Amino acid sequence: MADPARVKPVVGVSEAPAERPTQSEGSRDAPGSSGKVSEPAAVQSTTREQGKAVSPSRSAEEAAAAGEEEDGSSSLHPPPAKKLKVEHDKKKEKRHKVDEDEIQKMQVLVSSFSEEQLNRYEMYRRAAFPKAAIKRLIQSITGSSVSQNVVIAMSGIAKVFAGEIVEEALDVCEKWGDTPPLQPKHMREAVRRLKSREQVPNTKHKKILFH
Amino acid sequence: MAEEEDDPGFDEDLDDGGNGVDSGQGKRKRLFSKELRCMMYGFGDDQNPYTESVDILEDLVIEFITEMTHKAMSIGRQGRVQVEDIVFLIRKDPRKFARVKDLLTMNEELKKTLKAFDEANYGS
Repeated sequence: MADPARVKPVVGVSEAPAERPTQSEGSRDAPGSSGKVSEPAAVQSTTREQGKAVSPSRSAEEAAAAGEEEDGSSSLHPPPAKKLKVEHDKKKEKRHKVDEDEIQKMQVLVSSFSEEQLNRYEMYRRAAFPKAAIKRLIQSITGSSVSQNVVIAMSGIAKVFAGEIVEEALDVCEKWGDTPPLQPKHMREAVRRLKSREQVPNTKHKKILFH
Repeated sequence: MAEEEDDPGFDEDLDDGGNGVDSGQGKRKRLFSKELRCMMYGFGDDQNPYTESVDILEDLVIEFITEMTHKAMSIGRQGRVQVEDIVFLIRKDPRKFARVKDLLTMNEELKKTLKAFDEANYGS
């Protein structure tokens, strides 16, 4: 029986914009988790201002270009270069609007969570691998030091990887008619499935063509 | 290095693999036990996941990081791990790729904001 409180995380793209809302969820599990809640709002407003500042200057450029072009070409309506600029501009505005829609939808969703769902969502956002341990692990493999960005990227990917396995294991568990907590047999079956989809990297087994 | 699937019967009974027949990484101290428990709960498991499952997941994560590190060392600048290598290796997996892009972008924004904040404070 599936856990009704199980919140399936939305695919990675929509996750980042949702991390900007000024919820009292506390620190994001992002790098530099100093946990200032006012920061996300400041960051968000600066990017929005930048986006708006870019578009008026762009459209002024386009108007000037349009004036010039009309004298020269008679038959072609918008020349391809200008069309690309307009399209890019529209896409950027649409992306900002989509971001804001996404954020609003997330806020509506989270505000309607039950207590247990809120707990689970909080754990989902906050849980992260300790940067020091990841850095130590990578450095023990490379033998040389690695930059901070590498540690940030690696711990982020590792969390997504863990999430993929747990989700697949929950699917297996449900399919076999068991209940959570997950047992090792579910985990192993999940890994087997992910391996066949090549989502688990494996360089130990060399595939020899024409064996 | 024996994987978990090779000795299915032993994982449940021997918790830390004290005998000779362990799953290859049983002797190492558990690095991520606490964090992984919280993570599994967040991803949909029970509030108290089984220790054996957490162990399996930790082994998988460590193996994943090891493989990625080895691959990253072999491409781009040899012997070093750089962010571009990781992004290149992840390019085919949409979820991970998007997540890395978002994390790095957010980190840049954070650094910029903190720098601006510090400079503003320095004057006063």
